[in-house]
Amino acid sequence: MKLTTKQLTLCALLTAMALALSYLENLFPLSLAIPVPGVKLGLANIVTVFALYALGPGEALLILLARCFLGSLFAGNMNALVFSLLGGLSALGTMALLSRRRGLSLYGVSIGGAAAHSCGQIAAAAWTLGSSAPLYYLPVLLAVSLLTGGLTGLASACLFRGLRHTDLMKG
Amino acid sequence: MRPKLRPTAWDGLVVLCVAALALGLAFFQWQSGTSAGELTAVVSLDGAEVDRFAPADLLKAPRTYANNGYTLEVMLSMDYEHPASSALPPSGASGLCVARSDCPTQDCVHTGTITRSGQSIVCLPARFILRLEGGTAEDDGAVDAVLG
Repeated sequence: MKLTTKQLTLCALLTAMALALSYLENLFPLSLAIPVPGVKLGLANIVTVFALYALGPGEALLILLARCFLGSLFAGNMNALVFSLLGGLSALGTMALLSRRRGLSLYGVSIGGAAAHSCGQIAAAAWTLGSSAPLYYLPVLLAVSLLTGGLTGLASACLFRGLRHTDLMKG
Repeated sequence: MRPKLRPTAWDGLVVLCVAALALGLAFFQWQSGTSAGELTAVVSLDGAEVDRFAPADLLKAPRTYANNGYTLEVMLSMDYEHPASSALPPSGASGLCVARSDCPTQDCVHTGTITRSGQSIVCLPARFILRLEGGTAEDDGAVDAVLG
């Protein structure tokens, strides 16, 4: 994959924004309202959705990998890497497939991605713990992903509306 | 690639699929929650079973488990007729809970009480699982302990 300077700069900016959003959502722990391990707003997914449409799946994957590795490194918790990687890759793969369906809007793509993220994280938890017990949380996480995916879709739609007439969306 | 910015009918299909999956899984777990035998709590650390006990055993004392640098305390969760006055004797045991943990996320403590066979409390940092198994269909697999 060959990146232009503009694309590389945009990838770096989006990675920094995704890391900042991941940090920001830790300040509003959704798990206090819904006490389920792994439940999150998924604000960093806004960046993944944006990168998928504005840059393409390859660039979105690069941003996701950089965000997962750097996030785990900065948090000093490499155990979290397997969770963020499996969740993130599941979400990106699902969203890349759904984004090819012409009838779906950002909302449907984001909700599908959020649900896939939950499935990926539960798979990571089951693998880490060596037990199927984390599957018990999957129905709740899937239900929550309807809300968080919808919110991510709304935020992404607002972002695209705001950037509609900029040079960024013309390239 | 230009995204559609307004919700479409196809989005509703995605919502329906996710909701159906969630409901289906919940129903499957609820159906498979009860099985023959007494209701039993099973504790696993790092995927290996380390303890198995009847919930009523915790009337004597809570149990403490340490793993991966973290310590958790499992105890019976009590019902009070007047929740504001826990100085009064409890009216019964409602289930099992993780009362204390020094893990950073505290999800295990916030999960609250589990009462039914098939339910579990997971602490990812401590790689700890508390799971209820067994219990007959007649008593709906609920925790039952005689207090006195």
